[in-house]
Amino acid sequence: MKKKMIHTLNYMALFLLGILFIYPLIVTFTNSFMSEKEIMLHYSTQLSLFDVLEGIKDAFVDMKLIPDQVSGEQYEEVLIAQPSFLVLLTNSMKITFPVVIGNVLVSLLSAYGFTLWQWKYKEALFRLYVIVMLMPLQAVIVPNYIIADTLQIKDSNLAIILPGIFAPFGTFLLRQNMKAMSKEYFEAASVDGASIGYIFLYIVVPQMKSGISALSILVFIEYWNLVEQAVIFIKEYYREPLSVYLSRIAEGKVGLIFAASCVYMFVPIWFLILGQKDLEKGIELSGIK
Amino acid sequence: MLKNQKMDWPFLFILPSLLGFLLFYICPFLTSLRYVFVDKPVNGNFVGMQNFIDLFQSKSYLNGLKNTLIFMGISIPVNIVLSLRISLMIHKMTGQKELFTLLFLIPLVIPSGSMLYFWKMLFDYNGYVNNLLFRIGIDNVNWLGTSLARYVMIGVFVWKSLGYNIVLFLSGLSSIPKEYYAAAKVDGASEIQEFFKITLVHLLPTLIVIVILSIIDSFKIFKEIYLIAGNYPHDSIYTLQHFMNNMFHSLNYQKLTTATCVLVLAITMSTQILFKLEKKVR
Repeated sequence: MKKKMIHTLNYMALFLLGILFIYPLIVTFTNSFMSEKEIMLHYSTQLSLFDVLEGIKDAFVDMKLIPDQVSGEQYEEVLIAQPSFLVLLTNSMKITFPVVIGNVLVSLLSAYGFTLWQWKYKEALFRLYVIVMLMPLQAVIVPNYIIADTLQIKDSNLAIILPGIFAPFGTFLLRQNMKAMSKEYFEAASVDGASIGYIFLYIVVPQMKSGISALSILVFIEYWNLVEQAVIFIKEYYREPLSVYLSRIAEGKVGLIFAASCVYMFVPIWFLILGQKDLEKGIELSGIK
Repeated sequence: MLKNQKMDWPFLFILPSLLGFLLFYICPFLTSLRYVFVDKPVNGNFVGMQNFIDLFQSKSYLNGLKNTLIFMGISIPVNIVLSLRISLMIHKMTGQKELFTLLFLIPLVIPSGSMLYFWKMLFDYNGYVNNLLFRIGIDNVNWLGTSLARYVMIGVFVWKSLGYNIVLFLSGLSSIPKEYYAAAKVDGASEIQEFFKITLVHLLPTLIVIVILSIIDSFKIFKEIYLIAGNYPHDSIYTLQHFMNNMFHSLNYQKLTTATCVLVLAITMSTQILFKLEKKVR
């Protein structure tokens, strides 16, 4: 009896905590169905004439969960009336997808290489990868800038995409994932006379499904969320990714920010729901040494 | 012949990654090192170690360094304790583990830009939190303009990165053999003893990975601070990355590169220690 009660309490506490965690998401979602007028009403902290007359000194932000009137106005504005929004969405994709695909391919090859290669200084080299992986973005921006300048790609998306493709985190994650695979797979195949390339394509890659999905999701959210590099390398307004644009409308035109935010976060959340199991498995294995 | 093949083939697999890694990270970093010993980026004079001396006398650098260390020193332990507590709760549940893990994982994938307006409205001087406080009779609190900003940011950090730790802890917990707990019960161990003698000991390798990944994550909080509070936020959330970012924009490459060098040394030493620890606990 007592155990059952503890169990129920456990569930309830977790449930409440979970709701608290996705509360920002809930607010953003429900408020995306408010009309621009209603948003101004709840979020503006400027005193209206009536407030002054009534002797109210402070106008507060009032976050409402349920709109007074459900309206698709924001979505209409974002998706149909303002084609610039879709251009920005495409800009985000143009940077994110090449980085994800490139990084997964390059990391998959190098993780396999690191697993098989027998070289005295292999671990030292790997540690160099880990050190660079731990550096904050601001520390690699001068190197990024220097190389972009040398290769004369400063004014193109390549200045962001290429360092992204070769970012060392992918090699780290996939190598840890490969360690979890049984050694016999590698050995058995080579005894049978299979080439290393054959083992890689037909034995290793199929078993790396969750590692590959996890890496794809993690790299995707990082570049979908790109801010700092965009500020430095992208000068033209029409080439900006959505993340930078959103920070600008948060300053001014707030009437459609919730719908814009929802469209923007829909993609990564959808990926998470599709790939939750693989993501969890891929992350888990990064702990194996 | 066969041995020879084993030596060379794997290297070819690393080659694309290694070339890109050298070209985009290592070589330009080595090139940037020339800034460390000069007084200005173009046609600079050799000044020896002067940049290091200047750096450690720069108030904004020391402030950024201090804040970054304080931020890590509070947020990483808080995050670990909380995620361990929640993982233990999820671990004990019989069903719906997936769903609960999902709830905590969602903040990880939400782009910072999408949440920017929400955070601003929540912690603004006339924001929603102050609205709630006002209703129960408490005066406006300046969340982002005082040293409270640090705790707001720690909260945002924990919100964002708790899920990742929970996944790692859950996997660590499920790999502890159940027999250990049964044996402990027979010996009459209390729940607290069980936790410290069995659970925690077996989670040590997981903990080290979590610390490594938390360092990466805690650097990434700069994005939120930058979006919410701009280039020059309140002193208490002015981090090392603000310093580096501002040095970049004011073209002070010599100071930025010197700061990077110090960071490279610090991170190299920390990883060395963490890897040594890992070998020990494994």
